[in-house]
Amino acid sequence: MIVGAGQVGQYLCEKFSSEGQEVVLVDKNEKKLQRLERELNILTVRGSGASARVLAEAGISKTDLFIAVTDSDEVNLVACFVSRHYSVKTRIARVRSEELLMPDSLLNEEVLGIDLIISPDWAMADEIIKLIQVSEAFDTAEFSDGQVLLLGYIVHQDHPFIGKSLYQIGKIAPDTKYVMAAIIRQGETIIPRGEDVIQAGDKIYLMMLKKDMAKVEKLFSFSSKLPSRIFIIGGGDIGYMVARQLEETSIEIKIVEMDKKRCEFLSENLAHSIVLNMDGLDAQALIEEGIDMADLVIAVTRSATTNILGSLLAKHHGTKRCITKITRHDFIPMLDKLGIDVALSPRQVAADMIIRYVRRADIVSVATILDTDAEVIEVTVPDSKRFDNVALKDLKVPAGALVGAVVRQGKAFIPSGDSRIQPGDNLVIFFTREAARKVEEFFQA
Amino acid sequence: MRIGGVLNLLGRLLIVLSLMLLTPVPFSIYFQDGMVPAFLTCSMLGLTAGAGLIILFLPEKELQFKDGFAIVAFSWLFLALLGALPYYISGCIPSFIDAFFESMSGFTTTGSTILSNIEVLPKSLLFWRTMTHWLGGMGIIVLTLAILPLLGIGGMQLFQAEVPGPTKDRLTPRIQDTARILWSVYFLMTALETGLLMLGGVDFFNAVTHSFATLATGGFSNYNASIAHYHSTYVQLVIIVFMFLAGANFSLHYMALKGDLKAYWKNEEFRFYFYILACAVLLIFVANHITHTYTDTFKNLRDTLFQATSIMTTTGFGTADFDRWPPFARLLLVTLMFIGGCAGSTGGGIKVVRCLLFFKYARSQLHRLVHPRQVETIKLGNMRVAQDVMIGILSFFAIYIAVFISASLMVTALGVDIVTGPSAVIATLNNIGPGLHLVGPTQNYGHLPSLAKLVLIFCMLAGRLELYTIAIFFVPGFWKMTRAPRLRWKRPV
Repeated sequence: MIVGAGQVGQYLCEKFSSEGQEVVLVDKNEKKLQRLERELNILTVRGSGASARVLAEAGISKTDLFIAVTDSDEVNLVACFVSRHYSVKTRIARVRSEELLMPDSLLNEEVLGIDLIISPDWAMADEIIKLIQVSEAFDTAEFSDGQVLLLGYIVHQDHPFIGKSLYQIGKIAPDTKYVMAAIIRQGETIIPRGEDVIQAGDKIYLMMLKKDMAKVEKLFSFSSKLPSRIFIIGGGDIGYMVARQLEETSIEIKIVEMDKKRCEFLSENLAHSIVLNMDGLDAQALIEEGIDMADLVIAVTRSATTNILGSLLAKHHGTKRCITKITRHDFIPMLDKLGIDVALSPRQVAADMIIRYVRRADIVSVATILDTDAEVIEVTVPDSKRFDNVALKDLKVPAGALVGAVVRQGKAFIPSGDSRIQPGDNLVIFFTREAARKVEEFFQA
Repeated sequence: MRIGGVLNLLGRLLIVLSLMLLTPVPFSIYFQDGMVPAFLTCSMLGLTAGAGLIILFLPEKELQFKDGFAIVAFSWLFLALLGALPYYISGCIPSFIDAFFESMSGFTTTGSTILSNIEVLPKSLLFWRTMTHWLGGMGIIVLTLAILPLLGIGGMQLFQAEVPGPTKDRLTPRIQDTARILWSVYFLMTALETGLLMLGGVDFFNAVTHSFATLATGGFSNYNASIAHYHSTYVQLVIIVFMFLAGANFSLHYMALKGDLKAYWKNEEFRFYFYILACAVLLIFVANHITHTYTDTFKNLRDTLFQATSIMTTTGFGTADFDRWPPFARLLLVTLMFIGGCAGSTGGGIKVVRCLLFFKYARSQLHRLVHPRQVETIKLGNMRVAQDVMIGILSFFAIYIAVFISASLMVTALGVDIVTGPSAVIATLNNIGPGLHLVGPTQNYGHLPSLAKLVLIFCMLAGRLELYTIAIFFVPGFWKMTRAPRLRWKRPV
């Protein structure tokens, strides 16, 4: 059951219902519900999520998973509170208030009886920080406590590996361990084999151990230096949190914000970032402040238009890279063509977090891959004869899925076809959505 | 200004001080120096004057912010006059202006003296000298607030006027409790230093009087040679440590006594205070070393440490004649004189926090030239400094410079030379004590013209009350608003 048909709610409905789950959506807005009921295969109930009667009517007594993602913190918390009277297995609430999210908050998850409290803005800020740390990648996911990384890169026009097959690339440096998990070509996900050839404009996903990251990036001529000058356009919650975390490094940060009052707040709460009170689209002023020399521009204002235009402006004047916040998921493929490096939408980041959390039972972690229908999960190999000491190539993993890494007793390695697995190992598996069900069934004990 | 209420309170404070004038009496009896009649006379005079004021003028129900300034300024002036009487009546200081200078120098914790031979003074009078330091250090009005409900009305206005400083740290919601805490810490530290000095072989009388002078950052010593009289490194070290502590914010000592030792380092002003002092010691030490001022390196280090601490905390004790140090070292000491101690300490000077914020402001203006659209807030620690506090600091500097220049001009106009005059003004305006050349550490202020002494007395008072309390009297509007006093007996019409 999902309460709140906002952006996160809609995205989650879409995701869960396409996997064949029964989804009930509760919201006050009737028009929205009618449209969603038509578009997605879900049941909708009109009413307030904070009302016990409405929730009962929506069938909360049969619900396993309860997600409250309305715009109001109070409604979400009350809804979760009501759900405590029923046999709901997992409760998730979205909140905005910073006070609730602080690690030392009095009202923490335990006190509130909620399994996961998430904030899209915080999740987004975390995501941005992760992306900054692996500079050229446009997408990143971590597995097994950060030992294994999945990084997405764009293959540019003049990349040396264009026209080469995976087999050929593998021969260049046989000692460098990595798995090419996927190639996204014109919106289509390919789980590659040895004979597939890399083309200009491909997005490639590489899975590797964190300690090998530098080696792999060198092999693929991707640089991963920390940026030294960052511009943040938009001093909202996301901009503020990113700046505050980045201040711990020696990166030079400039924040552009239109609102004078907010500027004062920022300068008061940040130690040495330079806070500029101006319009994020004022080209003259931005150049005066040296946006053309910036390594990274993070556009996170409330308006997607400003973010997109601001990023384009910065790119035009010579910024190396930009991370752009957008609110409409549908725009992501188009932004690519415009030359925006990384587009993130807070709702998707938050929804990913929820999905990752929900699947946690026997699957250790999940990441959805931006703008594709692929996912990565980490599963534990069940204790069954079928998996005992079997070589990967004999395992008959369902089509459309690929084992990227194996974690045995807390240590991760990148497998080859001859590597044998054992029950209790964790496997990091990359798969397309069509294969999702099959993969889950495959690993049922 | 409600002059009646001001005078009534002044009467009460005079009575408090008159009682304090009795404290030297036991010493006088013990040492048999024949000062008992003098102190009793002064005390009686003070009591009579105080009682007269209380009887004549009715108290006001409430006091305004402005009245706080008036009370503090008036009471400091009259308390210093009363405190001068023992010197004058006993005949130890024949000129009244000199006695007034000595008394004001005591109360304002300056430590400048007009006496050329201190050691011939009766013991009880020496005790009174340092007693004035001790009372003036934490503030006699704060003391009155702390121990007596005598002042009746909420003392915030008075507290603010007597313990100035750009920002306030109130430890408790009630100002009386804050005053009590500050005086307890002050008292405790005095007792501690007395004990430590006695462990080093100093007798009780000298231990107490020197502790008074250290904790108040005053600088009166019972010996002509000041602390150099004690050749013991231990005694000098104890005094260095307590001078340093007295120059730091007493709220921090309170927190440390409650167990939060990290409070010191968390305080940005304290860190800055420490760094400045450490740099100054290092630079002076090197300067002295290069110019071969000392043959003994250890003695150089000890004297440099002592003098730099003594000057920066505005104490003014001496173990060395720094007037013979190289010009660079002397100028550096003068620079330290301007900076002074921390806010909320007993030290004088501009105060570390003011300098810190002043330069932070200048830096933010420079930043604005580079980034015209930058928004920057001035922070102290993690707290934002309000705009009006900043403006207050900037105007403090303007008034400070005005007072410094006009006082220097006046003193030099009276025929004092160009090093002695301004350095005497610096030493008194910042409540330090010794200046340079003819008012240097081995000299005294006795030879200056009487008018110059009056100017310096004004400087001491203005410096101790951090300018605003005194400067407000020069605003014509302040006097125009004076209301007729309410007398207890109305004159028959």
